[in-house]
Amino acid sequence: MDSDPDEELLARVAQGDPAAVRALTARKLPRVLALAGRMLGEATEAEDVAQEAMIRAWRQAPIWTPGVARFDTWLHRVTLNLCYDRLRRRREIPTERPPEQIDLGPAPDRGLEAADVGRRVASAMQALPDRQREAVALCHFQDLTNIEAAAIMGVSVEALESLLSRGRRALRVALSDMMAP
Amino acid sequence: MTRDRFLELAEAYGGAVARWPAAEREAAATLMAAEPEFVRQSLAAADRLDAVLGAWAPLSVPHGLREAVIAAAPVARPRRGLRAWLLGAGVGAGLAGACAAGLVFGVALSGTLSAPTDAPEAVSAAMAGYDDLSETAEGA
Repeated sequence: MDSDPDEELLARVAQGDPAAVRALTARKLPRVLALAGRMLGEATEAEDVAQEAMIRAWRQAPIWTPGVARFDTWLHRVTLNLCYDRLRRRREIPTERPPEQIDLGPAPDRGLEAADVGRRVASAMQALPDRQREAVALCHFQDLTNIEAAAIMGVSVEALESLLSRGRRALRVALSDMMAP
Repeated sequence: MTRDRFLELAEAYGGAVARWPAAEREAAATLMAAEPEFVRQSLAAADRLDAVLGAWAPLSVPHGLREAVIAAAPVARPRRGLRAWLLGAGVGAGLAGACAAGLVFGVALSGTLSAPTDAPEAVSAAMAGYDDLSETAEGA
């Protein structure tokens, strides 16, 4: 394993260094929130998950063992676990109008704006099976390598590739009207 | 790299070869140089999907969330300063000294009551006791 770029900062966080806390927050919170947003498709829940993931990171800092895993990998896994808790709860307690069923199509009287496209993408992502959404979120949106994403998901690189292919194919179908050459 | 493998990679990882597995990029580059038209067409569809996906901006971090996260972080425990240490040591030494003085006084008083004050044995015993206790107090 290459050296962990977060290790030094994490050690300072464990000692209660306020500058390190701010630096690690600036580095990790946007990524954690982005991942939760991609997985959940809903801002308030994503913020709750991001906050909980960072609190777990603070608890982990004093007992972190360098060299075992990358901190970023660990934090992604924690965030995904929290997202899956939320998704499970949604299925157990269905709401009247879950986020994935909201009609996010463009208004007929105007062209597609970036926000419209974004909402359509969010909707299409929410319609994917969880593991495909996770694979696309990690590789495409979080910009992780296939090896990092496979490690986070606990699957082989081949299995990851299969999930990615199926996920992107489904997205292409769902968003085909916006992809005219 | 075969054409089929190239298409599989574009399907899975998108149109930016920089995002493909590091171990396969070199072979992909060789194919790109050898068959530019095939490559251009193969990547075009993947590029279009990438562009649409890119329109979904990530959530931005609200100020309140950032501050709540920072507030929950570990804080440094105040270290015990030199002054506090000296104060503690001083109190300890003072208590030890008071005990020593009390013992010396007790020894001297008992000598006074049980033997003549000019008896050299009693004085030296009292001094020896004082010396011992002085050492104890200094060591405290």
